[in-house]
This record gives sequence, C-alpha cells and structure tokens, in this order.
Amino acid sequence: MIAALTQAASDLSHNPINRWVWVFPVVESIHICGFTLLVGTVAILDLRLSDLALTRQSISQLAAALAPWIYLGIAVQFITGPYLFSSSPHDYIHNPSFRMKMMFLAAALIFHFTAVRATANKSEPLGVGWRRLVAFISIALWMGVIFGGLGIGFWSVND
Amino acid sequence: MSFHDAAQWLSDTNLSTNLREAPYPYVVLSTIHVLSIALFGGMIAMGNLRVLGYAMRDVPVSRVIGQFRPWKWTGFAILAITGVFLTISEPLDLYDNVYFWLSLVLLALVGLNAWIFRYGIYRRVAEWDTSQVTPQSARRWAWISIVLWIALVFAGRAIAFG
Repeated sequence: MIAALTQAASDLSHNPINRWVWVFPVVESIHICGFTLLVGTVAILDLRLSDLALTRQSISQLAAALAPWIYLGIAVQFITGPYLFSSSPHDYIHNPSFRMKMMFLAAALIFHFTAVRATANKSEPLGVGWRRLVAFISIALWMGVIFGGLGIGFWSVND
Repeated sequence: MSFHDAAQWLSDTNLSTNLREAPYPYVVLSTIHVLSIALFGGMIAMGNLRVLGYAMRDVPVSRVIGQFRPWKWTGFAILAITGVFLTISEPLDLYDNVYFWLSLVLLALVGLNAWIFRYGIYRRVAEWDTSQVTPQSARRWAWISIVLWIALVFAGRAIAFG
C-alpha cells in the first residue's frame, strides 16, 4: 500500500500535466468551458422553474431539451476535473476549499437528479412557490461548487 | 501623453490603489466575473445550438433568442462592469500582459460577430424561423460565435497565467 502510494507520488513528475507548463492552464480552460455549459444550462432550467425566463416553453419540454447538454457538461467536468486533480493529489486533498467543492458537488448532483428532475417532469406543475424553492436550492448548491473551485486557487496562493 | 502614461495615471488613482491593496475586492470581483459567465454562457450556447439545429428544434429561432435576450444582456453587463473594475485594479500589469489585449480583441470580434448576425441574416429570420435546417450563413455565424467565446475563455484564463 505504502509502496504503491510512493510510486504514485514519484510518477507525478511523469504526468504530462506536470511536465509541460501549458497543459494545466489548457485543461483548466476546458474545465471552465465545461462548467459554463453545465452550470449555464442548469441555470436556464432553474430560471424556468422560477417562472423568470422562457415562460413560453413548458417546463418538461425545456428540461428534456437541456438534458443532453447538461450531460455533456458533466462528462467534460468528470474528465478534466480528475485530470487536474492528478497534478498534485496530495495538495488538493488537504485544500479545505477543494473539500468544500466536492461536498457541494455531490449535493448539487444528487439534488439535480432527484428534486430538480422530479419537479421539472411533473405533468401537472407544482405551484410556483415550491418550484422557486427547488430552483433556489439548486442554484445555491452549484454556486457552492463554483466558490469552492475558485477558492482552491485563492487558498494555495495564500499558503 | 502616451498610452503607458495613461495606464500609470490610472494605476496612481485612489480607486485603483484601493482595489489593488485591499484584500477582498479582487476575490469578490473575479468571483462575480466568473459567476456571470455561467449565467449567460449557457444562454449563448443554447441560442447558438438552436440556430445550428442541435437543440430545441421544435421552437422558433426568434422565440429562443428573444426569450434569452434580457438575461444575456444582464449577464453581459455584470461581466463587463466587473471586468472594467478588475482592469482598473491593476492597469500596469495588464498593460504588459499579451493575453489581456488578446481578450479585448476577441471581445471586439464577439461583438462584431453578434452585430453581423443581428443586422444581417437575422433580419430575415421570419423566413427561416421554424426551419429545422437554418440557412448556411446563420449556421456559420453561430459556429464563429461558439469558437470565439471558447477562445475568450482561454484568453481570459491566460491573463492570470502570464
């Protein structure tokens, strides 16, 4: 076990993300594009649930139209995110902002695939008060993910 | 007065000094800057994807774009205002940062592209509003928009890098 971890740590210098200085910012830029697609499309759905945007579309139709792009965003993040993490796993695990980000991410994904989807797919839409509550919690959780992600950099700068 | 003198003058103003030296403004401004990208980046993506015929094909193009417009302008206004204040906070560093100038060029191209679309092919949107396959020139401007915005994210990220 310890031997395996030591081996993994020595391999960090072989990781392309640590060998060439431009790999990290490039992958991180793709991560930002993926986050824009993911959170941006989730935000559209949340605004619709709140009756604040796209009110001429039915909620369930809009949710179905947005779903593939939300999945694409998730896929981009789940490829680029772990790769960024692999650049220095030890530092990330001990970074409080990274830990906060992972907790918010888990909560945001679970909430999205349970409460948000269930609310959006109701054939008889819930009252706007309930929908706004669900949308507000959804946005708050995703903002927690974003704050956590930005905080990773701020935190390491302050070390 | 050269342009560099202007950057120096801006850097010496109280506003710039306060933004630069206080601990919170930079963190708060850059956070709001990034949040606003998420707010309207998804709308830019969906509007372009509708024009390309990859999303919401059963909804008229003008209805998709029209319903996004007020939110897109809100997001863009927040992005622009926080961007201006971030620029004011460190004009001398940015003056020497090639990616800052690249970002401004890309932003200008984004604006030009949107203007060409809006006052070109989009004027006759009534003719292709409900088509599942939109005119080739409309699709071309949508692709250019997507590529320019992605390039802008890369250049914006690179400002902090170099």
